[in-house]
Formats: sequence, C-alpha cells, structure tokens
Amino acid sequence: MLLQVKNVALSLKREGKYTKILDDVSFQVEKGETVGIVGESGCGKSLTALSIMRLLPEKAKLEGSILLDDENVTEFSKRRLEKVRGNQMSMIFQDPLTSLNPLHTVGRQIEEALILHTDSNKAERKRRVIQLLKEVGLPRAEDLVNEYPHQLSGGMRQRIMIAIAMACHPKLLICDEPTTALDVTVQAQILDLMNHLKQINDMGIIMITHDLGVVAEVCDKVIVMYAGKVVEQANVKELFLNPKHPYTKGLLESIPKLGKRKEKLGSISGMVPSPDQMPSGCRFYDRCSKKMDICKQEIPPVQEVGEDHITACWLFKKEVEEDDTSRSKGFETTLHH
Amino acid sequence: MDALRYIIKRLLLMFPILFGITVLTFFISNTIPGDPARLAAGPHADAKVIEELRETMGLNKPLYVQYGTYMNNLVHGDFGFSNFSHQPVIEDIKAYFPATLELTLFSMFITILIGIPFGVISANKKDKIADQFTRVMSLMGVAMPAFWLGILLLLFFYLQLGILPGSGRLDTGLSPPVTITGMYTLDALLSGNWTVFQSAIIHLILPAITQAAVTIGMITRMTRSSMLEVLKSDYVRTAYAKGGTDTRVLYGHALRNGMMPILTLLGMTFGHSLGGSVLVESVFSWPGLGKYAVNAITYLDFPAVMAVTMLIAILFITVNLIIDILYQVIDPRLNYD
Amino acid sequence: MTLLEVKDLKQHFTIKKGFLGEKKIVKAVDGVSLHIEHGETLGIVGESGCGKSSLGRTILQLLKPTSGEIIFNGKNITHLPRREMKTVRKDMQLVFQDPYASLNPRSKIRSILETPLIVHGMNNKAERMKIIESLIDKIGIRKEQLDRYPHEFSGGQRQRIGIARSLTLNPKLIIADEPVSALDVSVQSQVLNLMVDLQKEFNLSYMFISHDLSVVQHISDRVAVMYLGKIVEIANVEDLYKNPLHPYTKALLTAVPQPDPTKKRERIILQGDLPSPVNPPSGCPFHTRCPVATAECKTEVPELREKEMGHWAACIHVQPAQLEKPRLIIS
Repeated sequence: MLLQVKNVALSLKREGKYTKILDDVSFQVEKGETVGIVGESGCGKSLTALSIMRLLPEKAKLEGSILLDDENVTEFSKRRLEKVRGNQMSMIFQDPLTSLNPLHTVGRQIEEALILHTDSNKAERKRRVIQLLKEVGLPRAEDLVNEYPHQLSGGMRQRIMIAIAMACHPKLLICDEPTTALDVTVQAQILDLMNHLKQINDMGIIMITHDLGVVAEVCDKVIVMYAGKVVEQANVKELFLNPKHPYTKGLLESIPKLGKRKEKLGSISGMVPSPDQMPSGCRFYDRCSKKMDICKQEIPPVQEVGEDHITACWLFKKEVEEDDTSRSKGFETTLHH
Repeated sequence: MDALRYIIKRLLLMFPILFGITVLTFFISNTIPGDPARLAAGPHADAKVIEELRETMGLNKPLYVQYGTYMNNLVHGDFGFSNFSHQPVIEDIKAYFPATLELTLFSMFITILIGIPFGVISANKKDKIADQFTRVMSLMGVAMPAFWLGILLLLFFYLQLGILPGSGRLDTGLSPPVTITGMYTLDALLSGNWTVFQSAIIHLILPAITQAAVTIGMITRMTRSSMLEVLKSDYVRTAYAKGGTDTRVLYGHALRNGMMPILTLLGMTFGHSLGGSVLVESVFSWPGLGKYAVNAITYLDFPAVMAVTMLIAILFITVNLIIDILYQVIDPRLNYD
Repeated sequence: MTLLEVKDLKQHFTIKKGFLGEKKIVKAVDGVSLHIEHGETLGIVGESGCGKSSLGRTILQLLKPTSGEIIFNGKNITHLPRREMKTVRKDMQLVFQDPYASLNPRSKIRSILETPLIVHGMNNKAERMKIIESLIDKIGIRKEQLDRYPHEFSGGQRQRIGIARSLTLNPKLIIADEPVSALDVSVQSQVLNLMVDLQKEFNLSYMFISHDLSVVQHISDRVAVMYLGKIVEIANVEDLYKNPLHPYTKALLTAVPQPDPTKKRERIILQGDLPSPVNPPSGCPFHTRCPVATAECKTEVPELREKEMGHWAACIHVQPAQLEKPRLIIS
C-alpha cells in the first residue's frame, strides 16, 4: 500500500479557537492507482491534500495517521519533510500562473527540485531538465529553460508545474484541481499527459477536482467528500452507475450532460454548513431529501454497500435493526476491510 | 539595447526636471525677505557701499534678468561665487559634498545589511519573540531623534569607553588621502593607504549608525509587511512543496518577489538622508554639505543654495533611475517601458 | 420575430506599449453577425480570449463598437446618444460572472434591487417594493432577508439576486456572461433551473456566454462557437452537438470530460494553445491547430456559410449540403 490515510482530523485556528475542518477522513492509494477526491467548495478536499503534504498553516492541529510506504508522515520532522516533499510525493496546484515564481526562469524552477533531492552536477541537471520538458510534451525545450512563466500560455505553465513535480520520480502525485484554470482543449491535453505519465511511472495519483467529468475520465477510485467528511467511496464505474449517498446522487443529477438535454436539472437545496456550526448528526441532514429522525441525532456510520463500495448514510444501516450487537459498534468504520 | 535606450530617455527627461528646479529655487530664494548685499557688506557698512555691492552682485536688475544671467553662467559650468566662503561655489561643493555622500552611502549600507534580514526574520517568525524584538527596535530607531541618539552614542562610545572617535573624518595628525573621489575611505583604498582607511572607517561608524537608525527601522517594517504578503502566495507554497528549506524559500523565492516596495523606500530614504544629514553632521562635526547648506541659507548665499539644491536633485533623480533599472533587473515582466 | 440583430460587428482594442511604444491591435470581436429571436436563448461558447465576453459588452454598448451595426427591437442602436441609450438599456441587461464582485458589499439587498428602478424614474416607493417583493419570491429569497447585506448570502443566492436585479426593469434581453462559472455544480443547477423558469414566465431572450459546453447545451436553443473573435459555427443546439461541422467544434466537443466512465470516446486532442488575439494567424484563424488544415487554409479566410439548413460554419473543407436557396448572410 502506497498511502494510507487513517482517521485524519484537522483543526484550524480561527478567531482564537480551533475549528474542526476535516473529520475522520480515511482512504488508501495503491501504486499505479488514481484516486479522485470530489466535492464542492468547502468540503475539505484541498485541505486533505495539504495535510498529506504537511503544507498546513502553522497553527493547524492534525490528528490520525498518514502512512506513506508505512511511515507516518504526521510524525515527520521538518528535516524529514523537506526530504520527502518534491521527492517521494509531489503536488501540483490549480493556478499554474501564480504557482510558479514569476522572477525565476522555468529551467531554474525545475532544476531546484533536482538540486534539493539529487547528487548531480550542473550539466547532468541541465540534461535532466531538458529531458523533463520533453517528457511533458513541451516544444523547443532548449530555449524554454531560459524563459519566464509569464511568457508562456496557461497550458504550458501547467506542464512546467508537472515537470517540477515529476523531476524526482515521486511515488505519489497530488493534483489539486490541475485543469480547472485551463480551457477545455488544453485540459484535454493535460489529462492526456497525466494518464501517459502515470502509465510510464507507475505512481499513485490523488486527483482533487469538483468536475465529475474529469473524475470519470481519469480516476480508478473516487472519494466523495462533504463538509469535511468522506460520505462515499467506490470504484469509478460503481460510483457513477450505482451511487448510494443522497449527496452523491444529488451531485450527479445536477450536472448537465452532453448529448442529454433535460428540461430540469436536479439540484440540492440549501448550502454547506459552516465548520463552526456543524450539525451533531449527519452533516448533510439539512439538505438531504431522504432524511430520517436518526440522521439528525447520530453520526451515520461508514457502511459497506457493495464490493469496494462504502458510504456513510443511515439509509443503508438496515441490518442494525436486526442485530443489536453491531449497533453498539455503530461508529466503527468498516473502511479498512 | 532596450536598457540603453531606456536609460538615455530617462536621462534626457532629467533636463526639464532640473530646469523646473532652478526656476523654483531661484524665485523662492530671491523673494524671501532679506538683503544679500547688506549681509555680504557686513553690519557696519554704509548705504553707498551696499548699493555698490548690489550693483556688482547684479541684484538691482529685474529678477528674470538675474535668472537669465545665472542660467547663462550655469550652462557654461559656472555655479557662481559664494559671498559667504569667498570662493567659487564649485570649490565648496567639491570640499563638502564627498563627505556627505560617503556618510550617506555608509548609512545606507548599514541599513540594507541590518534592515532587510531583520524584516525577513520578523515576517517568518510573525508574532513570535524575534518579531516582537525587531518591532521594538525599529520603533525605537524611528522614534528617537537623530541628534539625541547621536549624543547618546557619543557619550557612551567616545567619552565613556573611548573606543570610537567623536568628531571629524580622520584622526588628527593624519593627512587626507590623495583626492580622487573625495570620499576618504575610497580614496585611501585606491591609493593603498591602509592607516588612513582604518581611521576613516572608524570615524564613520558613529555618524553612520546615527543616521541609519531611522532608516533601519523603516526598512525593517517595510520588509516585514512586504514579505508577509509574498509568503501567502502560491509560488511560495510550490517552493515548499518541492522540498525547499526555510532559508531557500525565504531568501531564494520570497525576498526577491518582495523587493519592489523595499527598493522604492530605499530610494526615498537615500534622498532623505542626503538632504537631511545636517543634524548628524552637527553632532559629529562632520564637514558635510548639510552644514554648508544651512549656512548658505542663513547668509542668503543664493548661488550656494542653488548649487546644493541642484546637486541633491540630480542625485535624487539618479538614484531613482538606478532603482527603476533595478526593478527591471529583478522582475522580467517589466520591459523598459 | 427578431429581437436583436448584429451585423458584422467589430471590436478592436488598441494597446500601446509605453510612452513611445508601438501600437498593437487586438481584434477581440472581428466581424460577428448573429440574431436572437424573442424568447430564444443563444449560447455563445469558446475558450478564453475568443472574444465572447467582449461581444456581450459591445452589444450592450458598454464598449463602443469599432464598426458594425446593432439593431435591437427594430431600431439601430449603434450610435445612439447617451440619453436615448439609457432607455434602450432598460430592455437589455447584463448578468455578471462573479456574484461576489458584482454586488456592492455596502448596500442592502433592498437597495441593490431598488436602485435600477429609481435610476429609471420610478418614484413611487410602494410600487417599487411591489415589484421587488414579487421578484424575490421567484428567486427564493424571503422578504425579511431584504435588509441583509450581500455577504450574508451564499454564492448561489447572490447570483440569484444578481439575476433578480437584472429583471427589475422588465427587460427583453439578458446577456449573461458566465453566470454559473463561479458556482458549485449543485448550486449551478439551481441557477440554471431558475433562468429557464424565468425565461418562460417573462418571455425573455438570453444571450448565454459560457466556456462550459454542457451548460450551454442545456440552456440554449441555438449555439454559436467563437474562435479568436470570429464565429466559426452557429446552429440549432441539436444540430451543433450531434453533427458538428467545423473541426474546432468537433475537437471542443470531444475534449469535454464526460461524467460517464463507461463511455470511452475517441478524443481529438488539439495541439498547442490558442494563438494570441494580438497577432492572429493569417487565413483561417484555426489553421495552426486544425487537424485537417491544408495549404489553402493559411491564406484563405473562410466565410461563415450555410452548409446545411440553418447550420452555418466557417470552414472551406466543409462541403455544403444541397440547399434550396443558399443564403449568404444570416437573417
């Protein structure tokens, strides 16, 4: 197992007090697997990624464990983190323009990762930088090393970000909305490139996105997050064909699909509760079309609802009624089966 | 090539500015109350002598004719004659200006050396002890009147400890080095005179620190706020995600991006130090331009006032030009326009 | 009946670099002709820099057109004096992309909605309130929320308030510039549904500008595809999505990721990025990225022609079907 995220909770300090942003987030990423994390803004998907990279604000409280190759990232020293970041795990971000240093040449920014993590001389690094630029499909690599980010287009910039991330052959690549800021035709190029790189490098990818289309195209497994919690997890086909959680269903129904024109789109009423006013039971309670009394009072346990398919919803807790012993263990997650 | 064209363009723009300054200074100084001829002739001269003097000084002609004559002389390299020092103004400038320039350059050097690192540390350790310490230090520097700090330093290092000299530019008994630039430290270095160099440096320490106290405070605060802004940016996060260490991220990525407002302030402080050195020069009996200018104004020595004003203006413009060029050196997005 | 007709509209910006720098011309909109019927939605799609936003703003005359004609409700409004333009503007309103930036944070919702009415001379307060109250009822905002400030609402609510504001003057045409792009999908669908409902109720015409092909398909009757300031294809929504003619439209449609993992489509991946509108390619603007481009495409500027009934494309490689009467301009 490449990455195991176990019961991660994250609290951030806001206006003097800690507010829990992520609660009991667990999932796994295998080698060569692409795991999608979807959800709407404020669901905590980006903070999950930043927690794995330990790129959190100083006053963040991170609980639970994040095992990268069986080593707990949450216990890493600052020194150790600097060795791991950009080397064993890399991250690319949403906006490639602001994510690149405007004052350094493209070549220098890629080279920096090599300086930090490899024993190589200048000539070797230069060769590798040019090789990387070619790998990410950029033309005239020899000239490009001396150019600045503002001279490039959005798609080229994101390719540079990918080159930086790939420089030291990471085992895990985290992509936070990598194509959101790009045009569709360019997005298609970048997704294509990422699929290609994944195949030749055999790495694990976490793909964070709000775009269910992107998820369907590149992911093997999908995690749906809502208000800081995982509400559903399944392999990609299962999730799209057989969604269980009312939130997942609502999301899928609300996207307009090419080729299918409907008069009315599905929608989810209301809005995401703010982190300091989380409902005590199910966090989706206020917006749920299938809410029951129990949902208001008790946190729904994580349930297995199919092969490699779990969800946290009371609707699927039928066997509890029959079996009293398992009820007392209602909160135990059945995630790591 | 672009750079050269830009510099030439900027230098050409200097002329209209200087012209404006001569007009302003000339007419303001000639309309303030007081009679230069009377002052030059001395308190016991009779009316006839004064009238004659006025005639020879050209003061009885209309103001615009006087201005014409002055400008005509000026373009021929004649700055006029000082009625106060009884020698051509240009000679006075040659004698006093290098001392002031040397002092200012030294104090700027100290400012950069201390102010910028203090600011960076302060931003990186925001709200921690290091930050509080630099905050108090900079407030003290800004709040303390220069002459008072100068006297305190004198009392302590000169009178009490006796480890630093209290006045002048060189130890008594040493003769100044061969005049090349007029700045003793530089001239001593150029002519290889080690003893004079040491003495000149030691004499600079107290006045330069006194003058730098204010600017260090300002630069520290500016660096801090600029860095805090930059540290929030995406490329700083990218740099950490690559595995960058604090030092590398702070000085390699953030500082250069935060340099713009710091440079602007440095340029402004340079002009300010140059023009406002009179207090420091008085406390340390530094034979500089500040004292000369004050005397010139007191004795209504218009040619001297004009010359000092123009000199400071030229320097100010030059420094600003250098700063503008530095902007472009730092930021490749600015393109000499 | 035609509500809006735009003929050969051009919007060229001059950018001057520096004090004595050379002038450059950006052809943001370069000869666009289109029309919108009463009660119809025309979708405008294209990637960033294709000129779709400039087109909307030029039609509203927030930008003065370089050349061309805008005929609204049978009246040429291209060169109307300011005062007359004000009355026309009542009938055409803009909805912005960013619901956070387009509402004044210091104004209460009541005054945000009231201002257009006051500006256009409705002096009776009771009458104004009647209009506003009936409007907010339609967008799902309660009466007691009128005295709140924009920051007290969610993004979706704000966008609905923005739409309500555009409706206060009972306009005929709404130009919506990426109205749902800043919103989450579940909220986006609420706003889209609302727009469809309002259209039916008030017989509105929409010009719906978006980069999102799925959203445009959902809401539009006809769709125009723009590339570097020009319309490259325009057709009924079914024709355009089922039978795209222009190679750019084809590539665009296959590039959209589909939320259906069982479908693996053949994707046309275009090479390179959009050329800069400052220095657009000669001939067909798309020839630098076009998979079927030939030598002629570099020199010949393709005209927008009717290739099939009501289906226009600007590509010399698309053969026109046999039409009864080939038309040259859109009418």
